[in-house]
Amino acid sequence: MKGEVIMKVNPRRILVLALVTLSLFAASVGPIAAHHSTVPFDSTKQTTITGIVKEFDWTNPHTWIWINVPNDKGGVDLWGVEGMSPNYLGRRGWTKNTIKPGEKITVVGRPMKDGSKAAMFMSATLANGKVMTQSGQPTD
Amino acid sequence: MENARKKLSGFIAILAAAAVMHTAALAQKAPAPPTAADWAALAKLPDLTGVWEAALGGGGGGARGAAAAPTAGRGAAPAAARGATAAGPQLTPEYAAKRDALRALAREDNESANCLPPGMPGIMTQPYPMEFLLTPGKVTIVIEAYTQVRHIYTDGRKLPGDPDEKFFGTSIGHWEGDTLVVETVGFSPLTQLAAGIPHSDSMKILERFRLTDPDTMSIETTITDPKALTAPYTSSRTLKRHRNWTIAEYICEENNHNFVDASGKAGIKLDNPGTAPKK
Repeated sequence: MKGEVIMKVNPRRILVLALVTLSLFAASVGPIAAHHSTVPFDSTKQTTITGIVKEFDWTNPHTWIWINVPNDKGGVDLWGVEGMSPNYLGRRGWTKNTIKPGEKITVVGRPMKDGSKAAMFMSATLANGKVMTQSGQPTD
Repeated sequence: MENARKKLSGFIAILAAAAVMHTAALAQKAPAPPTAADWAALAKLPDLTGVWEAALGGGGGGARGAAAAPTAGRGAAPAAARGATAAGPQLTPEYAAKRDALRALAREDNESANCLPPGMPGIMTQPYPMEFLLTPGKVTIVIEAYTQVRHIYTDGRKLPGDPDEKFFGTSIGHWEGDTLVVETVGFSPLTQLAAGIPHSDSMKILERFRLTDPDTMSIETTITDPKALTAPYTSSRTLKRHRNWTIAEYICEENNHNFVDASGKAGIKLDNPGTAPKK
């Protein structure tokens, strides 16, 4: 329950997640690469972030989910998760209300190489249990 | 005093005459306003109008194996990742050396991270849609990525002999049967011939747009650059029409946390969380 940050380095988990990860990453690299490279993120690792949504920026060039994550000192750390643009996500079922401030969220993403409190979005589990990804074909 | 007044009125008369002649000169140059026949003629052309995006989902699906290369050029997507077919530019020794020098800098990102748009030809391969508009004497391409616009004149004008260097160059177009043929010259040195490859002041881009079925458009792009290339560099892409889509806003400066610094190091600014204005 505690919103700690876990590096998923368990080989079995990696095996299980490999295909999902590959497809998510394959889908996510293109648009992100169009604006900036993924160099600041560690594409060999995943991090899981659980906390309360402070803010969801439905903005260009990227969406950002800002999450207050409880820390060991009884306070919270603010984490930022970079996602695809509203233009891209809006054609794949997302809206500005998909992520709601005040709600609990668990995000899986690529952590920063420098250890700072940010990640590149891979998937999120919302308070209602729904899992959101950024992959898939656009809808007409 | 009377003399001075006469001189002044004479001067004003000359100015007025000059103004009339200047206006007449401008009027001579200005194209005739479009007629009903001009508008009707558009309906006989292949219908390129509407919103198009690269096939394979335009960023959603398709093969997208590699992360952006460290020397990723000016927002240009890896050609293979965009459903393009290309053998790769064949460079002259001078430009192969320039490419290698750029590569040696090992920049982690390019200025797109700072919101500088890629310009031509990279802007045509972004994973976002483009809207084509046909009006008398002109084709306009509204590009969602970075909110960009290309103006292609089809009114018979010639390309400038000594063009200014612009992100999109200067474009003219004409129809060869069912194919819109667009020639573009004069590119900013801030644009690249292809990812990680600079162009010279002699680069020319020839694009051929045609429908291959009612909602599929083929774009064949041929780049010539006698100083940089030993052979024309041709690539082709397929776009799908999305009749229900509209072009969305894309203001890169709205909430950009990404950056690349002068040394080429890429990063994320987190000291400004939520730079989007608070409600």
